[in-house]
Amino acid sequence: MNRKWREQHERGSASAIRLIRWIALHLGRTPTRLLLHPITAYFLLTSSEGRRCSRQFLARATGKPPNLWNIARHIHSFASTILDRVYFCTDRFQYFDLQVHGHDMFDETMAQGSGCILLGSHLGSFEVLRMLALSHKRLPLKVLMDKERSETITRLLEALNPEIADSVISPGTPDVLLKVHEHLERGGMVGMLGDRTVPQDRVVHCRFFERDAPFPAAPFLLASVLKVPVILFFGLYRGGNRYDIHFEKLANRITVRRGRREADARHWAQQYAARLESHARRAPYNWFNFYDFWPDDIHHG
Amino acid sequence: MAELSPREMEVARLIVEALNLEDIEPDTIEPEQPLFNEGLGLDSIDALELALAISKKYDIQLRSDDPNNQRIFASLRALTGHIEQKLTA
Repeated sequence: MNRKWREQHERGSASAIRLIRWIALHLGRTPTRLLLHPITAYFLLTSSEGRRCSRQFLARATGKPPNLWNIARHIHSFASTILDRVYFCTDRFQYFDLQVHGHDMFDETMAQGSGCILLGSHLGSFEVLRMLALSHKRLPLKVLMDKERSETITRLLEALNPEIADSVISPGTPDVLLKVHEHLERGGMVGMLGDRTVPQDRVVHCRFFERDAPFPAAPFLLASVLKVPVILFFGLYRGGNRYDIHFEKLANRITVRRGRREADARHWAQQYAARLESHARRAPYNWFNFYDFWPDDIHHG
Repeated sequence: MAELSPREMEVARLIVEALNLEDIEPDTIEPEQPLFNEGLGLDSIDALELALAISKKYDIQLRSDDPNNQRIFASLRALTGHIEQKLTA
């Protein structure tokens, strides 16, 4: 679905990313951020798909058609969070002003010892949480993500910190969720992103900005089968060096009834979609799903 | 259609029941047919539910660190063979 965007995205060749990574680590954050302006301009000028998806999303989230400056700000915000991944991956948290909301609820849930599913999104940065967890060893977070499908940029960033590879559970074999189960049984957290689907996923359609969009059912089915709480996570970039981290309890128990699977999964996915929409409305420049999020819309104009 | 052994029949019933496969009769599952992706078309959530159901019924833990998982989950016959092996071990 997002192949087109990914292909464009991959144009920033591996060597260019390596160069920026080198500059980022040797010059520090403030000087390197100056590079984000020409990078933003480059993508603004050359990525028609990126522009189109940005325009579509900003129009829906803000209720008015965006101008070129708004789109540039959107791309700049995306580029900023990618650059910051370099610093998160290398444990340079001293550069940042991180505000954590929902900390007590998070600690209470973890203290129950049953583990939890941490459901994130492509709104803002999931990396900020992942790397915080790695840097605080007492937060045992494993992320369920497809390594095979990860972008060049992800692989190059992960090369900065070999521990990252150990924190990934990659799907593809029938026993992948046994790994998830065993990690949760040990009281661990399993991170998933709830706003992208791949063709083999079980999908439910939810209302999102007054339209139907596909969401994966898997996080909710999994929480139901394993009887673990689900905490939502949003790592919103606020400009400058500020990130707002929000933890929100979705449910202590999710029940998906036999024979009512789809309807029950849709119910919970809709709760997630509503929270995602609420945050996306207040932080639209954090929306990093640069592809047709409402695929059915194309056919209906 | 291949004949199912009594234990294969039992595991086939467990699959249908645990995964709520309403439109499949246990005795129509081909023993050598793949359970996942193609064949019966199960996915990883089905695999998890099936592993939990097997653990409940037979007190056998399927673990992710078993190097034979790919083979164990390959078909009804392979899965049943694994269960029988564990039960007699």
